[in-house]
Amino acid sequence: MSIAYLLVSLGLGVLVFAVWALFWAVDSGQFDDLESQGSAILEDDPAAPHRPEPPSGQ
Amino acid sequence: MNVSESLHARWSLDSGEHEHVVFRVEGIHCTGCARNIERAVHALPDIERVRVDSAAARVSVDWLGAGASGLPQILAAVERAGFRVVPLAGDAATDAYQKERHAALKRFGLASLGMMQAMMYLAALYGASDIDAAMTQLMRVAGMVIVTPVLFYSGAPFLGGAWRDLVRRRLGMDVPVALALLLAWLPSVVNTLRGTGEVYFDSVGMFIFFLSAGRFIEMGLRHRGLTSAEALARSLPAQVTRVRPDGGREKATAAAIAIGDRFIVPTGGIVAVDAQLATDLPPESIGLLDESLITGESLAVTRRAGEAVRGGSLNVGGALTLVATATVGDSTLASIVGLLDRAQRERPSIARAADAAASWFVLVVLALAALTATAWGLYDSTRAFGAVLAVLVVTCPCALSLATPAVLAAVTARLARMGVLVTHGDAIERLARIDTVVLDKTGTLTLPSTAITDIKLPPNHESQPVLAIAAALERGSLHPIARAFVPHEEPTICAQSVRELSGEGVEGVIAGETWRLGTFGFAGGLASFPPSTATFGNGVDSTLYLGNSAGLAAAFEVGAPLRPDARDVIRELRGLGLQIVIASGDNEAGVRTTARSLDVSRAHSRMSPQSKIDFVAGLRSQGHKVFMIGDGINDGPVLAAADVSCAMGEGSAVAQSAADLLLLHDGLGSLPGAVTAARQGMRVVRQNLAWALGYNLMSVPLAAFGLVPPWLAALGMSLSSLLVVLNARRIGAESRAP
Repeated sequence: MSIAYLLVSLGLGVLVFAVWALFWAVDSGQFDDLESQGSAILEDDPAAPHRPEPPSGQ
Repeated sequence: MNVSESLHARWSLDSGEHEHVVFRVEGIHCTGCARNIERAVHALPDIERVRVDSAAARVSVDWLGAGASGLPQILAAVERAGFRVVPLAGDAATDAYQKERHAALKRFGLASLGMMQAMMYLAALYGASDIDAAMTQLMRVAGMVIVTPVLFYSGAPFLGGAWRDLVRRRLGMDVPVALALLLAWLPSVVNTLRGTGEVYFDSVGMFIFFLSAGRFIEMGLRHRGLTSAEALARSLPAQVTRVRPDGGREKATAAAIAIGDRFIVPTGGIVAVDAQLATDLPPESIGLLDESLITGESLAVTRRAGEAVRGGSLNVGGALTLVATATVGDSTLASIVGLLDRAQRERPSIARAADAAASWFVLVVLALAALTATAWGLYDSTRAFGAVLAVLVVTCPCALSLATPAVLAAVTARLARMGVLVTHGDAIERLARIDTVVLDKTGTLTLPSTAITDIKLPPNHESQPVLAIAAALERGSLHPIARAFVPHEEPTICAQSVRELSGEGVEGVIAGETWRLGTFGFAGGLASFPPSTATFGNGVDSTLYLGNSAGLAAAFEVGAPLRPDARDVIRELRGLGLQIVIASGDNEAGVRTTARSLDVSRAHSRMSPQSKIDFVAGLRSQGHKVFMIGDGINDGPVLAAADVSCAMGEGSAVAQSAADLLLLHDGLGSLPGAVTAARQGMRVVRQNLAWALGYNLMSVPLAAFGLVPPWLAALGMSLSSLLVVLNARRIGAESRAP
């Protein structure tokens, strides 16, 4: 029975950690740009400055 | 630079007697908040007009410049009302988005983690009879420890909004929500501490989770709607490098640029005002400009010395020296921003109706809750509390308060991406209902620029050499007809001592020979014998003749060709079930040719502006909903006479346009898509309203009779609002696929 007290408080501890981790991630900008990071690996020169859009039929 | 100064520098477009400012406000969640702000600012002296758009979180204020109130007082009044002012333009606005998004993400994240964990503990108690009291108490305490921070952190916007409403003695959407949250939470805490009675922590957690999810999605919609409109406004540079008359350079604010000032736009810089390329540059210097911000056209355009450059264009070539032809306030971009702003200041009638309905809705809900409490109090007081809670929780005003503005914002954003600018708030609603399209011909179905449509030559002659000669003669001419020859220019052929004789034509010397381009008599006048009428006829007004001392060499028919996409657009519009009519002031032959090549059976020619108005009015009196499309330059009254109108947004006509919609792309291509988007948007609004009505009519009586437990009420309301917001989101999502 007393194991339940331990498990519940352990669960609360995990919750607190999860909330802390989420807040840290949001504040450090992990969710700010979800698209461009994925394609960053495909770009040749990561240091290239902002380039004008190539003409495309948009 | 503080907020007040930077706002002023960018936004005081009409300085002097009437001042006008637009800014963004954080913390608007419902139409009640919008009214609070209107009220707070209106309380100041000398305020002429205040408009708040709750969907876009924008506030615009007109006031008397000489009066007692200034920008600082207005901003202070808004902040006193409990809202944070953020500038509309510049990096600060991006930062403000970021902050709002971060805060919403954290609230949503905490609510979802807390909801899951609380549910995990408290679900163990559901229907379980063999759990001992100590264990039950442990689970309840754990639920309380988790849900209380969730309520006061994730639920803060609702509690805060309700508090603001109550302080101002108003009824907003947050009032019943906050009341329900607190009514469920407080007794649960009391019962937990006493160790007996019902607890509702799991319902509270779930309720907040779904509410924050709805808010988060709605915020995304709003930001997306804003980005397209504000990308325009935000792009104007605040500072410009001005060239002083003595040749030195200085930094000046864009607002300080006067007509005739020379300024420099570096590579990658944005042109602040409408301007033209300086004429004293070497002739080979060419400007390469990307006008996609204004027209949506992503191909860069070239501009030569003396040619016009639109404010808002991006300089993708080398640094340019420009001469301003308009001030910031009169430039194309400012006009577009002004039109956008006007569209957002006018609350569409459908949103106004929803506002009024929402305020009544809250009143009715509170009255029903009170009625439920009284009735149950008389009958069975132990069940009164649960029933009142259920009534408060189960009602869903979201379709009324959030979804309608969100749908309109999403449609506006989708249209903007297509290059269609909505300048009147009601336009989308009216565009969705049209059944007849009336098109002007010149400048609308045909290209605004002229081109050579036919060439007559003496037998056995090539057209290309004479075209190059004609183009050389017309090079540098400002006459509209000259543009028809530009594609045929050859750099090696140049004309010397060119002179223009008004009403006759141009004359110049090419490779030692004198050439004339112009009327029949003028061009034939160089030869000593009368021109041969066999090849060239007797001279027609719309024809240009080229001649030298050897007689006439060619005749050019100059006209306005059909837009390349006109045929497809007409077919697509007809596919949408619309009737197509051409109403033109042109002569019968020209209109008939156009109508035949477009397969349009109803075409009216030789119509004066007044007869066009009568024609449109006649169609409307027969019950048709008329969509008028014109070039926007000389058909303003006709456009105003139609149910909804669209103008070609070419050139400087943008500013004066009376049209509800402006086509910023070249061509008509986006029209069918615009009609489809408007119809889809109104369909979503109708679905949302029908859902809200049906859901509330069904759920409120059930809740009042005590048939809905609190958790089910929370689930029903949350899913209902999520459904409505997600439905609005469909519009934005589908537009991603071209």
